[in-house]
Amino acid sequence: MIAPPHPALAPQLLALADDELILGHRDSEWCGHAPILEEDIAFANLAQDELGHAALWYRLVEQLSQARPDHLVFFRQAKHYRCAQLVTLPKGDWAYAMLRQFLFDAAEAVRLPGLAASRYAPLAETAAKIQTEEIYHLRHTRAWVRRLGLGTEESHRRMQAALDALWPYALQLFVPLTDEAALTAAGLVPAAAAMQQEWEALAGATLHDAGLVIPAGAEAVAQDRREIGPHLPGLLDEMQAVARLEGPEVGW
Amino acid sequence: MDTQWPRFEVFEQARPGQPHRNAGAVHAPDAEMALQNARDVFVRRPDCASLWVAPEAAIYSRTAEELTAGEAEAGDEHGPTQMYQVFQKQSQRQAETFVNHLGSVEASSPEAALRQAAEQWGKGAWVWWIVPESAITRSTEAEAASMFAPALNKPYRQPNYYHVQTQMRAVRAHDPDEDEA
Repeated sequence: MIAPPHPALAPQLLALADDELILGHRDSEWCGHAPILEEDIAFANLAQDELGHAALWYRLVEQLSQARPDHLVFFRQAKHYRCAQLVTLPKGDWAYAMLRQFLFDAAEAVRLPGLAASRYAPLAETAAKIQTEEIYHLRHTRAWVRRLGLGTEESHRRMQAALDALWPYALQLFVPLTDEAALTAAGLVPAAAAMQQEWEALAGATLHDAGLVIPAGAEAVAQDRREIGPHLPGLLDEMQAVARLEGPEVGW
Repeated sequence: MDTQWPRFEVFEQARPGQPHRNAGAVHAPDAEMALQNARDVFVRRPDCASLWVAPEAAIYSRTAEELTAGEAEAGDEHGPTQMYQVFQKQSQRQAETFVNHLGSVEASSPEAALRQAAEQWGKGAWVWWIVPESAITRSTEAEAASMFAPALNKPYRQPNYYHVQTQMRAVRAHDPDEDEA
């Protein structure tokens, strides 16, 4: 175990890991169901990438807290997860899935450069590694958002409905965690408020190009990640079912 | 109504300096999406330095048989010249199943480009593809890092990562049902 540079760092990284894991799981639900074969493969790739990123963050959590990644993923109850509610939402239609992934990728595009400048070297290195791949994710989802937003009347209507529904959830990605301000002050993670501004500009430009309107006056759906929302327990029941059946001692 | 997206042929370069070779085809609504689909369909495993895509409709393709059987196709001899990329499949042998990039020619039509290519690279080819340079969309060097490099860090995408056979042997060794069989 590495001496943590700050006691709040492990919980902060756990939230990052949980976001990636649960989004990756939701994305994986499209495997075999995407609207065209090529995109089925692309979205499954993307889901796998998010799981890979989650694994990297859980490994850092393990170094700081000795909590084993397998245990964190497969034997932790919903109430102890710290993901934003955005990633727990059921997969919806294709516009909804693509827009959620886009909003998340745009958030990553803003967060990762800040994390790559962290004074905690293992965190900085991991963020730099993930950043390369997220550039491609954003390019891919941005291309889809433009085409669906400007496509047919129906694709536009579905995209706008998805944006109206998802925007307040996406705002939660930038609600600071307990003690996050202290981590920022210590140069360990970037400042949440500045990231949110940058994200709104980045995502907003693409949404505007796609003819979509960000709902006015929206607020984050929750202020505390301990409010997990109604969808996570069902997701975990399924995701953890096999591991729980076999028990933690079984080797894979 | 045909709702299928158009087909794009995909050309992959495994390492800098090697020729681009046809990896297969993807469907996509436009060239930019075709390039992204090509990446996701064909570059899941490592070793890709560059990708090109070209709409199938833009490719002038002739087999050796067609060239000997048919009369020489004239093409537009007076149009403005443009650049064509030339691809060739050498034979039907299994080791030579790929359509490889050879180089480019300047010509006034695909037919004229093919005649020039045959003079330059010999008539022994099994299949020729002539692709107008203007129809090709390429991955850029700046994009390569995010498009191709991450695949190198994903050993879990390789089937040999999972040691399934070793584990199955271990399971069988302890399975009483297996002993009875």
